[in-house]
This record gives sequence, C-alpha cells and structure tokens, in this order.
Amino acid sequence: MKTLITTLLTALLGASAPTMAQSPQYKQAMTDALTTMNNFRGQPSATDLLTIANQFQRIATVESGEWLPRYYAGLNYVYLGFMGKDQAEKDKYLDQADMNLKAAEAISPKNDELAVLKAYIAQSRMIVDPMNRWQQYGPLFRSGIDQAKTMNPANPRPYVLEGSSLMYTPAQFGGGADKACPVLKQAMEKFATFKPTSEFAPGWGKQQVEPLLVKCK
Amino acid sequence: MNWIALLTTCLLTISASAQTVLTGRITDLKGHSLPGANVMLHGTYDGTSTDSTGAFRFSTSRKDTATLVVSYIGYEPTRQKITISPNPISIRLNELANELNTVVVTAGVFEASDSKRMTMLKPMDIVTTAGGGADITSVMNLLPGAQRVGEQNGLFVRGGSGEEAKIVIDGMIVQNPFFSQSPNLQSRGRFQPFMFKGTSFSTGGYSAQYGQALSSVLLLNTTDQNQNEGLGISVNLANAGLTYDHATRNASISATGYYGNLKPLFALVPQNIDWTHVPELGGGSLTYRLQPSRTGMLKFYGMYSNSVVGMNFIDPSSEMGKTAFNQRNNNTFVTSTYTDSWANGAWQLMAGLSYSHDIDATTYGTLDFGRGTDRLQGRAMLTRSLGGKLGNQLLFGSEGSRVTYQNSIAGTPYSLVDTYGAVFFESQVYAGRKLAIQSGIRGEYSSVLNRFNLAPRISMAYKTGIYSQVSLAYGQFYQTPDARYLYRNTSLNYERADHLILNYQIIRNKRTFRIETYYKNYAQLVREFTGPNGTLGSYDANPYRFPWGQTDNTGYGYAKGFDLFWRDQQTIKGLDYWITYSFVDSKRLFQQFPTLATPSFISNHNIALIGKRYFEKISTNMGLTYTISTGRPYYNPTNSTFLADRTPAVTNLSFSASHLTHIGKNLTILYASVDNILNTRNVYTYLYTPNRNDGSQPTRYAVGPASYRSFFVGGIVMLSRKAKVDVRQL
Repeated sequence: MKTLITTLLTALLGASAPTMAQSPQYKQAMTDALTTMNNFRGQPSATDLLTIANQFQRIATVESGEWLPRYYAGLNYVYLGFMGKDQAEKDKYLDQADMNLKAAEAISPKNDELAVLKAYIAQSRMIVDPMNRWQQYGPLFRSGIDQAKTMNPANPRPYVLEGSSLMYTPAQFGGGADKACPVLKQAMEKFATFKPTSEFAPGWGKQQVEPLLVKCK
Repeated sequence: MNWIALLTTCLLTISASAQTVLTGRITDLKGHSLPGANVMLHGTYDGTSTDSTGAFRFSTSRKDTATLVVSYIGYEPTRQKITISPNPISIRLNELANELNTVVVTAGVFEASDSKRMTMLKPMDIVTTAGGGADITSVMNLLPGAQRVGEQNGLFVRGGSGEEAKIVIDGMIVQNPFFSQSPNLQSRGRFQPFMFKGTSFSTGGYSAQYGQALSSVLLLNTTDQNQNEGLGISVNLANAGLTYDHATRNASISATGYYGNLKPLFALVPQNIDWTHVPELGGGSLTYRLQPSRTGMLKFYGMYSNSVVGMNFIDPSSEMGKTAFNQRNNNTFVTSTYTDSWANGAWQLMAGLSYSHDIDATTYGTLDFGRGTDRLQGRAMLTRSLGGKLGNQLLFGSEGSRVTYQNSIAGTPYSLVDTYGAVFFESQVYAGRKLAIQSGIRGEYSSVLNRFNLAPRISMAYKTGIYSQVSLAYGQFYQTPDARYLYRNTSLNYERADHLILNYQIIRNKRTFRIETYYKNYAQLVREFTGPNGTLGSYDANPYRFPWGQTDNTGYGYAKGFDLFWRDQQTIKGLDYWITYSFVDSKRLFQQFPTLATPSFISNHNIALIGKRYFEKISTNMGLTYTISTGRPYYNPTNSTFLADRTPAVTNLSFSASHLTHIGKNLTILYASVDNILNTRNVYTYLYTPNRNDGSQPTRYAVGPASYRSFFVGGIVMLSRKAKVDVRQL
C-alpha cells in the first residue's frame, strides 16, 4: 500500500520533478492531445488546429527527447497550411511545420514517418501556388515519398499521400483515378497489416483513403 | 479498495487547492489581441492557447516565480519571469521581420523569381507570354523601361543602346548572348528560359556587383535541379532536338542536342528577305550539377553551336540596292560556378570561371568582314550576414577578365586584348524594418584604356504602408567603349552614365502597381570626326560602318522619363493581365552626330498589353499580346534638320497557345503561335542611297521584319514514363 501511495504522490508531484523519458505526464499529455485530435469531427476549424498544434508544441518543449510531439505539431501545421486564408498565411503555417520537422529530425534521424511529413509539407507548399511551385516542391514531395517507402516498406502513409496526390492531379498532368487507384489500394493493403511501433505512433491515413476509393471501380 | 479512491480524491483536492490560476492577455505592440498564441510555464506541462480575445487562463501548481514563455506565429517569442499570483499578466509581442512588413530595395529592379513571394513576375511568365516566343530578352522587352527595336539585337533600356545592356549568367558576363546578327534582322537569345530559376532585370541603378553596362544588366540564375527525367524529343517548324535528363541523390545531368533549319517555316510563311542560304544551325549543351555537401553546389554548363546564313540584304550604298551577305558562326560557352555557405549561412561564397569563344566568318559581297571574341572570366564574391532579424549584410568581391577582340574590315585585320579587373564592396543595412539602405562602390581597371574608375552606387527604400513602398537609387556606371573605336584609338576614356531613379510600388492581393521615374546623364561618350583635320564630316547612316574617323570622349546626353506597370491576377478569375507603359525623352551628342539629337533607336512611347489564361477543361494555356511602339527617328539626307523624321508606329498583335496531351503513353506538349495577326506592314527604319553628284533625289528603302504575319507550331514528346511537365509552363 505504501508503494501505491508513493507512486501516486510521485505522479502528482511529478510536475516539479525532473522529467524522465516517457514520464507518466508525457503519456497523459500525449493521450489527451491525441484524443482531442482524433475526436475532431468533420473539418476542424483553424482555431482547433492551432490549439492542438500549440498543445503538442508545449509537450515538445518539455520533452526535448521525444520526436512525436514535434511530429504531431508539424502535422497540424500542415493541415493549417491547407486552410490559411492567403499565400502568406499558408506559408507562415508551413514554416512552422518545417521548423517542427527539423526539430524532430534532429531527435530521430532516418525516420520513415518524418519522411512522410516532409513530403506532406512539400505537397502543401506546392498547393499554395501550384503553377509556380511544382518545379521546386514536386521533386521534394517525390523524394520524401521514396525515402519513406525505402525506410519502411510496410508504412501505408507514403502510399496515402502519393495516391491522393495522383487523384487530385488531372489526367493530363499524369494523374487521375487510373493512376491513383492502384496506389490507394496498396495503401489499404498495408493498413491491413500495419502495426504502429508505439502507442502514440502515427496511425492516420485510412480515413483519407476510404472516400477516394469510391472513385475506383 | 474504496478508501484508496477516497485517498486519491483527497490528494487530488489538496493538490487542486494548491494550484494557482494564471490569467492574462497577449497582444501585439499596438494592443491588438493575438488569438491562438501559445502560453506556457517553462519546463512544465502547464499552459494553454489564447482565445479569440487574446486572453489565456490556466492553472499551475508552481509556487513563487516561474518563466512564462509566449510564442505566436510571425512574432518574436518572449520569455518573462513572473510571480505566481492570480493577478492578470499582460504581454506584448513584437512582430518578426517578414516580406510584408520589411522593406526591400526595388528601384530599377524587375525580378522574376519563385523564392521571393513579393515579385511581380514569375519565371513561368517568360515562357507563357505571347509575342515573346519563349525568348528571354523578347519578354524583357515587354517590361517597363525596355523598348522594342525590331531590327537590332540587344536590350534597349531607358534611352540606352543595345550595347549598353549586359546579360549575366550566375554572375558571369555572357559575351555573345544572342545568335549572330544578320543585317537588319534581330536574332534570338542563345539560352533556353527553362535553364533559369530566377531572372532579375535591372533597368538602372543596379548593384556594385556588376559593371561594364551603362544602362542595364539582366541577371539570370540557373536552376539547381532537373525539371525532367529521361529522354525527350522536340520537333517544330524550324528545329528538331533531343533532351536527356537524369538525376541522382546529389547530382544531376542534362544534355541537349538540336538541328535547326528554317526551310519548312519559310515554305509556309512568306519572307521579305531574299535568302540565299536559309538559316541552318546545330548545337548542343551539357549541364552538370553536384552537391558535394549539404551547403555546397557545383554547376557546370557548356554549350556549342554552329550556324550558317546567307542573304541578299538591302544595301543602299550598292548600285543594285542589295549586297550578298554570308555568315558562319561558331560559338562555345562554358561556365562553372561553386557556391557554398558556412556557419549557418553567415558566410556565403560564390566563385565562378567562364570561357567563351565566338567566331563569325562573314562576307559582304566578296569582302571579309569576319569577327571574333574570346573571353575568359573569373569571379569570387563573399557575403557576410551580420545576423540580427533583418538581414544586414556586407558583400565583397572581385572579378577579372581577359577579352580578345578581332575584326576584319574589308579584309584589313584589327585586334586587341583587354585585361580587366574589378573589385566591389556593398553593404545592406536596415534602419528598422521600414528603411533599408544599400550602398556600394566598384573600382575597375581596363588594360587597353590603362585607366581606373571608381563608381559609387546607393539605393534606399522606405516602406510607406503595409503593401507599398518608395525607393530611390543613384549610381555611376562606366563602360569601356566599343572595341571598334579602340582598334584605332586606345587613348579613349570610359563612357559614363549617372542614374537617378525614384520608384513607388504597391503590391496587394495579386495586384501590382508600380511607377518609376528616372533621369540619366550620359558623359564621356565617344564622338567621331570623319572630316579633314578632325572636323565633323558628313553623316553616314550605315549602322555597320567601321568608325575610321578621329575619336574623343567629348560626347554627352541625357535620358529621362517614367515607366508604369500594372498587373492584375485577381479581378477576373483565371485571367492574368498586365499593362506596361514607358515614356522616354532622350538626346545625345555622340558617334558622328553633328548636334544633340534623339538617336535612331529611341521610341518615345512603348505600350504592351499582355493577357493570358489557362483553360483547365481543355488543358490549354492561351495568351494574347498587343504592343505599340511609337515612331523612331531616322536619318533623312534630304531633310536639313538632323534626325528630324519619324517612322510610323510599330504595332503587333500576337497569340500563343500550348496544350498538354498524350501520344500513346507519352506525355506530349503541343504549341502554336501567331505573330502579327493583323499582318501589319511594320517599318523599323528607312535607309537612303548616298547623295549623288547629279543632283537626283536619293532613293529610300524601308527596313522591316523578315516576315509579316507568321505562325509557328511544334511539339515536345517525353519518352520517359516519369516525365512531368506542366502545360502552364509553356
């Protein structure tokens, strides 16, 4: 019983104790943040996304050895990058995404999920001004996808990004359902067997693919 | 077990009661609330985001003091020691310098760039503009400050002649940027627009980094990566070519080869020229890029071309009114640059070496008028960022070149070697975000003149509003006189121009308005005296004559005017249009001019209306361009007032379209253009037969384009499955 009480006390007072790897606070904070994020229904508002990005960034500041809070902060900034009201605002969000990606890469180099994030940022940058940016960000998107696939062939997310990008690219530009569907199906196959490496590891993508598959016979 | 639950609740309650609720508000310096700012206590999980009024509220178990960390996108993050208490905290954040709130020096500069958000032009615009023929300089000629001179090569900027503008690739001057000029015919630039990621066209007052151009520099920066992968074939009415691109992780290579022959085009488009050898050309290029480290980049570009042309051209001095012209040109250009940076970009190096060799084997009738140049250039430049939030920097560099000029004048050979050296220094200083001052100085030495010059340059910009700014620039510019003068007189001095430019621009929501006014003073221009004992002599209007008279630097002149630019990509969805208007008033006393007069290359008013639109459903890009250049002076020997006559205005309506499709599984781009849709009989200038002794009136010949209405079609097929091309680029 003494042990239990000690544990409880440690847990409660832990906020002021030096942080350790995977501290209970970290777990709690990540669980809270991910729950909020996963409970977004429909299209979350920019305020919601900014709030959650802030939340992950706060975790990241305390847990300087963890790449996941940085990763999720970056991911939410990518979503914001799609939503910004003008080019300058979109780029401002994407600058934040880049900053978080860089910080995450410093903690965890050679990480397939971060390669996916890199590709996602490149895609979002490109969409800001496709006419003028495809040249610069097209190859970056490509290299992110390729790196992710090589580092972890089982990861479905590079296929999610590649497939959805192809789906939204008109056929004349080398996209369209014909090109997208095989890639999206590959993504779904990989989701069937994919196991996240840890409890907070990224798991998104299936919901993005499902509505797109309707366009595939 | 109940009691454990109870105990936990107790502990939680105790702990909750020991918590303090922190409240406060985050605003900018002016007190406007910042919603969505991130607020936290350093080293803890305690924190929150501000609400729509910039207010925050969170609880903490910290006691006494803590550090409050506040961050907000686009603002300087701040840390503040606070005493834990329920008293509201108010924090003001300072906005970070960004492209919208920080001034940029823009006087005289017209940039086409992707990397900067606040530019009026994108690289793409060069290839999508109708009437530009995907030729870089033709498109630059549609910009404010530039004017169109149909029968001559070069960029004519604000009263400057074609020789007064230099084209610079990655910092290296290109000696022969255009295919060789045939009599009274403009030729294309040698470089493909796709090679470049950024273009900066200076219409005056440019940086101390560049010299030897009295009026303008066109700066072209090559791309860092390939745009395609694999093999491509291109065929059009004049040209067939192959391209190959391949990239690895840190290196890329592109190779092109082509053969051109204008026979098919001329068979379809009526020619105003009596061709004896239809222009024929062949050549190739090789680009190699290597990234040896994260920051370093080595680029190599080599190009070779060979062209042949023959015609009977209008020559009023000949009894038949025509002279046979034959020319074979050989051109080689290689350039290599290395860029790197250290200490997170605090130090940046740019070094380059280039060599060009150009030979024209030219005959007029039976006489040899061949010419050639060899140019070797080296350049190194170091930039030191002075840190801070604004981008203060110092730049120091040096360049040197050795150029050999050779001309054969009716069989008599002339040649000279000029060894040239320059050092330059420039600083960019921000006095706050609203005011930037760029000041520089350039020192030059030319061995053939055996003289030094020192040219100060200064430009400054002040931000007048969120979207608007004014800029002011002043500079002195020197240029070594044309080699043809120096063959006979090396005691000449540099020619000089002083520029004063005032600019206002406003860029808001994809609409741009810009007005620039300028005054240019020309001094030390070369004058030529062909009469006996150094007197003036009679004027010879032949543009290709050799200056055999006595020369000195007593010439002078001025150019003044203003340019307007309006671009709107917002008002009508999908439509992008721009309007440019340039006014110039210029007079000079130079060359063989007997009095101060407006030179024959000046057109007072130049207007360009450009529109383009991408039609998504048919994946086709279409553009329309209309240009008006008012008449230019021409020499009329029957008019006693020198250069008092004006040609009629030159107008041109042109159309271009490009379409993306597939042939089999291969990506294909088809393009078509029509130049001079209205079939206007434009006249660029008039030439007169020399005065005859029998008292008869001289005959007048009109000089116009090689063809009036003309069209062009072609296509590119990418053989690689990986090929990716954006039709909007074409």
